[in-house]
This record gives sequence, C-alpha cells and structure tokens, in this order.
Amino acid sequence: MWTRKASFTFAGGISLILIGMMISNHQMMILGLSFVAFIVANSWISGHGDVEVQRTLSADNLYKGDDLYVELLVTNRSGRRTQTLEVYDNVPHEMKLRSGLNQMKMNLGPGESARIRYVLRCPLRGHFSIGPVSLRYRNTFNLSVEEMFVDHHSDMIVFPQLRDVEEAFIRSRTPKMYTGATTLRTPGPGTEFYSLREYVPGDPFKNINWKAFARTGDLMINEKCRDAVTDLYIILDSRDIARIGTVLKNPLEMGTVAAASLASFFLQRRDSVSLIIYDEKLSYLPPDTGDKQHFKILSSLAGVAPQGAMPLQAVTNSLAARFSRGSPIFIISSCEGDGTVPAAIRDLVGRGHEVTVLSPSSIDFERLVSRIPRMSYEVLKIERQNRMTSLAGFGSQVIDWMPDMDLSQALLQVRGY
Amino acid sequence: MAGEVSPQEEGNRTLHLRTLRKQWQIITLQVIATVALVWMYMEIVSTYVVGSIDHTILFRMLEQEIGSELPVGDWLTGLDQQGVASYYVPIGVGITIGGGMSLLAFQPPKRQQKIKLAFVIGLIVILSGRFLMNYLWQLWGDGWTVPDNNALATLEWPLLTILSMVILMFYLLPVIMGTRGIWGLSRKGVAWCIGFVLLFLAIHAILSFPVVKAQLGGYGDKLATLDVLVGAPTVGFFGMNLVTEQQFSLIMIACLIMIFQESAFGVIRQLEYAFRLPESCKRDPEYVKQVDNVLNGHLRHTVIFLTITTLSTMVALGFHSVLLEFVEGVTGSQWAAQVSESVELTLTYGLVISALLFLALMAVLRFFVPWQRLWGLIETSLSRS
Repeated sequence: MWTRKASFTFAGGISLILIGMMISNHQMMILGLSFVAFIVANSWISGHGDVEVQRTLSADNLYKGDDLYVELLVTNRSGRRTQTLEVYDNVPHEMKLRSGLNQMKMNLGPGESARIRYVLRCPLRGHFSIGPVSLRYRNTFNLSVEEMFVDHHSDMIVFPQLRDVEEAFIRSRTPKMYTGATTLRTPGPGTEFYSLREYVPGDPFKNINWKAFARTGDLMINEKCRDAVTDLYIILDSRDIARIGTVLKNPLEMGTVAAASLASFFLQRRDSVSLIIYDEKLSYLPPDTGDKQHFKILSSLAGVAPQGAMPLQAVTNSLAARFSRGSPIFIISSCEGDGTVPAAIRDLVGRGHEVTVLSPSSIDFERLVSRIPRMSYEVLKIERQNRMTSLAGFGSQVIDWMPDMDLSQALLQVRGY
Repeated sequence: MAGEVSPQEEGNRTLHLRTLRKQWQIITLQVIATVALVWMYMEIVSTYVVGSIDHTILFRMLEQEIGSELPVGDWLTGLDQQGVASYYVPIGVGITIGGGMSLLAFQPPKRQQKIKLAFVIGLIVILSGRFLMNYLWQLWGDGWTVPDNNALATLEWPLLTILSMVILMFYLLPVIMGTRGIWGLSRKGVAWCIGFVLLFLAIHAILSFPVVKAQLGGYGDKLATLDVLVGAPTVGFFGMNLVTEQQFSLIMIACLIMIFQESAFGVIRQLEYAFRLPESCKRDPEYVKQVDNVLNGHLRHTVIFLTITTLSTMVALGFHSVLLEFVEGVTGSQWAAQVSESVELTLTYGLVISALLFLALMAVLRFFVPWQRLWGLIETSLSRS
C-alpha cells in the first residue's frame, strides 16, 4: 500500500507534468517525470513477511507480579531479503514491559535470524496469550507499507499471588471422616510408625519405646506418620459486586489471593481442598490433594472474572450433599447484595460445619475509587458491622478484611480449628 | 513454549547517538546528502541564476548606487570571480554557517543561550559601537546636540556590511538550511531547504511563462529561459544519445533534490529510531546488527534506486526518438521521419506521453523480472562461500 508520501509524490509528479505542459516549462515536466520515475523504480522492490517465528517463554505459569522473560526468534527462510521489516510482538495490554522492547526494525538476509528479548511484568492474574506477531514492511524511502502478521501465540496463566499463612493461625481439629485416609510422610498425629527419636521433656509417656530404652539405655519416642485430616471447602464469591474498587485492589482480587493461599497451605499439609466459585453460574472443583489439585485450583482462580449475581444459599443448597460431614468451610465474600448469606451460613453451621467468613470490606474498597461522604460512610459501616455480627451470631467466625490488611494479619482473628 | 530464556546481552558497540553519529554508514549518508545539496545548488545557480539574477549583479548595482566599494571583501562575495566560480566561496561560507548552527544545536541549552546572547551583543556593538563613541565624544565637547555627519558616517560601514551579509545569506538560504538539516538532524531544515528550491523553481517558471514575461518588459529579458528544445541530444549511455545537456541539467536538479531529501531524512529517521530504543536495547548486539543491516540497505537503495531514477528519466525523455527509430527500422516508411519533425512531438505532448509510456512499461517489468529473488540467490551463495 502506498504511503501518504508516495501518494503526494506521485500526485505532485503528475501535477507538475500537467502544469509544465500547460506553461511549456520543461523544468516542471522533468521534475514531475523524475518523481514518477522514482515511484516506479521503487515499486520494483517489495519486502516480505515470509519469516519463521519462534517464541520462548521463561515460564508458562507464573504468579501475579512475577517477571516473564520472552525471546522471539525471527528467521528469514526465504531466498531473498526481507527489506526493512518492523517486527512487533503483541503483548496483552495488562502486562507491562519491564526491560527490553517487544519490537525491532530489521533487514534479514536469506537464512538470517534475529532475536528480540524482553521482560514482561504481570501485574494481573488471568489466562493470557502473547501474539500474534505483527510485521510491517516499510520501503526504504517510506513510499510503501505492507502489514502482515504471523499467527503465532504463546498461552500462559498468571496465578494469584500466594501469601504466607502461618500454621499457628489455622489448625484443623476435624479429622477426615471417611476411610482410607492418606498417610503422610511427615511426623505428626497418626497411626502408622514413622521413626524413632530421642525423648524430649513434654513427650507423652505412652509414646516411649520401652524396648529401645532397654536396648540403648536412652529414652526413645515412637514418631507416627501424620494422617491427612481434613476436607476443606473454599467458597469464593465472584459476583459482579465483587469488582468494587480498583483493578488491582478489589474484593475479588483479595479473595483470589486468600483462596489461593489457603488452598496452598492446606494442600501442603496434604489435606484435601475443594474450590467453589459462584458468579452467574456455579463451578465446583471436588476435594483432592496433591500438586495436580493445586494447579487446578490456581488455574480456576486465574480465570475468575466478576459477573452474575447468584445467591450464596443456592450454592450451599446445591452442594450440601457433597460437603463432608463436619468439614471446615471458608466463605470468601464481601456479603454485599445478597440477602441469603445469613440463611446459608445458618444452614451450614446447623449441619456441623466449621464456617469461617472472610469478608473483604467493600465499603472501604469503594472509598478507594469514589468519595463517600463521611456520614454515609459511617452509616454504611455500621450496617456492615451489624451484618457481620449477625453472621457471627449464627456460629460462624467472621473476619472483616480491610483493604490495607495483610492476609495473615486478617487470619489472626481465626482461632481453633 | 517454556524454555531457557537468556537475558539481553551487552556488546562492545552500542546504539547511543554519540557512537552512532560516527558510524560510517551515517557519515556516508550525510556526506552524500551534502554533496547532493551543493551539486543541486550549483546546477540551479548555473542554469537559472548566473548572469541573470545572481548576487554579483546586485552587489555591483549597490556599489554603483553608493558610489564606493562594499565593505565586505570581494573574495568573500565572489565579486572577483566570473560565472559559477563566484559561488564557490559563498557556498563555503553557507556550509560553514549551517555547520556552525548544527554544532550550536548540539550544545547544552545554557551554552546555546550564551552563544546566542554573545552574537546579538556583538551585532549591536558592530552596528552602533563606533557611532555611540563618536556621538558621546560630540556630546562631551558640544553639549546636547543631534549627531553630526562624522558620527552618522560611522554607521555606514556596519550597515553596509550587514546588508551585504543579509543579501548573501538570502542567496545561500538553501545551503545554510540544508547543511543545518543534514548535520543538525533537523527535519525542518531539510524541509525548508527543499521548500526554498521548489519555490524558486515555481516563481521562475511563472515569471518565465511567455505571457507573464512579456508583462515584465525589460526586467523579464534578464530572466534565463531554457532552450531545452534546441539542439540534438548529446548525453546518454551505452552509445545512445537520449537528452540534451540542458535537459540533463534539469534531470540532475530533480534527482539531486531527491538524493538530498532521502539521504538527509534517512539519517534522521534511523537516528530517531535508535534514540527511542530503551537503554538495554541500545547495548544489545542483536539490535546493533539489525540497525547496521537497515543502514546498509538504506545506503544500497539510495545509490541503486536514485541512479535508476536518473537513468530512467533520461530514457523516458528520449523514448520518443527510440520509438520512432524502432518504427522506422521496422516499417522502413517515411512516416516516422515525418512525425519526428513534428513540433508537438518534441515539444510537450508526444514527449510526455512517450515518457509516461516508458515509465508504465518499467512499472510492469517488475512482474517479469524476479530480480529480488536473483539477488537473494547471489547473497545466499556469497554468504555460503
């Protein structure tokens, strides 16, 4: 395609020829002819985007806030020069260039290749795709431009960040109820023998191995393998209302961080974790253990987007039969705009579940983006506190999670699973 | 695909402007642009100005009016030379001034300000220094009086010097602005230079149009008109005479304008690209290598395509005679010889139509000659060997 410069040069050339003819001025005619000849001579050459592109990422999965190293190898496999080619690697707009550049102007000879290396920062979780690669051939004198693209994509998942959750804050007291509990290769309360160790003051006498004592003369203790103890259910509110706040700081973002961190913590302890996300529909990931489950949970959380307005009671009613008896349930919700929350929690507590409500304070998130009059804020805050108090009154543990509060700090309010 | 990704490397060469400005491709392009500028100016001057409206005529008129010689030396204004030679020294002055302006543009703002201030103060001192001293001395002796003739006479030298320099600068404006544009990396400078040249050509074309020229009377007679139609073609290549000398001169003006424009803008474009690269990319050998490739390509294309443009314009202008010779040779009739006598053919219509026909043929030729592929094969075989 001709550029504006080429169009002007050609039109100018023709105009000069015509005016030159009209006033019998040879300089104008020759100037015009030269312009046209310049365009014609340049039309002989055309670049091409017939190149092979290969993109390598430092990781396919990474955590929010991590850096991603990208390398794009562009090779000219054809038998002619590409001419001046601008290569631009399309990067999702949510990602920020940290170093390097995702574009390069190149002129590759036959068989030649060039590498574009750059680093991206991923400030938002989600499923992303880098690509396609845009190519723009530009004539040396900027007379023609041709745009092409190579349909080459690299998919990646940015998981929510994982925060440290201290063991002291969260402890399960409900053993796994069904048979076939997983034996863990870590010492702890259990039935199977793990190893012998020296006695330390405070160890129960019933665990002393008397035979070993007789043999060695030192007090020795029988260590047991820890059994997997808990099915943990995490219910995440991903309704449209959860988008209140900024892009980086809103109830949903904080909720995903909390869900990922809790899931990671319990899975590391070899517990079974289930994830339930409700928005316009319900998605249920059955409880399971291990790295695979960890990946599934993080992938699900990466793709969460605020939408819909499903009530919590619809979730609990439909899944009540699937919840293991007495298992702890974490509900991560701002508890706004849903009148069924108290009833749902009452039902769960009534069925013997340990319910913990981790509630990001949506009023305070709203304050981050819009000015709320002081009086209105106070009233809304009191309303929220009343709601939280009523939830606590049903027997659940309620954590009012402020925007500037760290997860571990918020969880300090939880005691005694 | 996940894999090992190494971070950007750092090479010995970088793309910092300080380094890039000394790179041979950039300097070659700037030299090409400067040569094209001077050559174009000389061609214009020799075609349109010398002996018609050149600065020496104006200076001589001034000297006649004031009855004495101008204070600026003849060696500087070129008054001691004849014809095009009277422009050699002024062009040197123009290049020096343009170069000085470029140099000034690369100084820190504070230094620029100081130099400009010093220049203005110097100009004021030259203009009024001697006059003020004389007048103050007069006031000291005679009391409060108007300046006498002695004091006023001291203004004559600086005023005439400045007037001479202003006239010279006016004539040299394309050279000054062009040099400033090329070496000072100023798009405006290049654009102003081309603008001045085209404006001059347009004004000249209008004034030399017979109807307008007749209105100018005696002044119009001095305007140089182009007798491009007179005479047989003497310039060509491969033994073919295609255009007259004057036509060739006009072709050169047109092509040199393009060489100047493309080389100057090319340098600015490439340096702008390098300047905008982030620091890490400026040190990355991959970027350095590709900038080299692009610059080499630019150089190659500047030489090849502008030569082709010049040659094809020549062939286009002489194409009508080639066509007639062909027709005469094929048919053996007298028709071609009779047509070649036609004024319309050698004047405008036939000439332009045949020229455009040739250019159209040339444009179509790209579909038949896979020269890019051929050149690619040569390059591949060269790189393998």
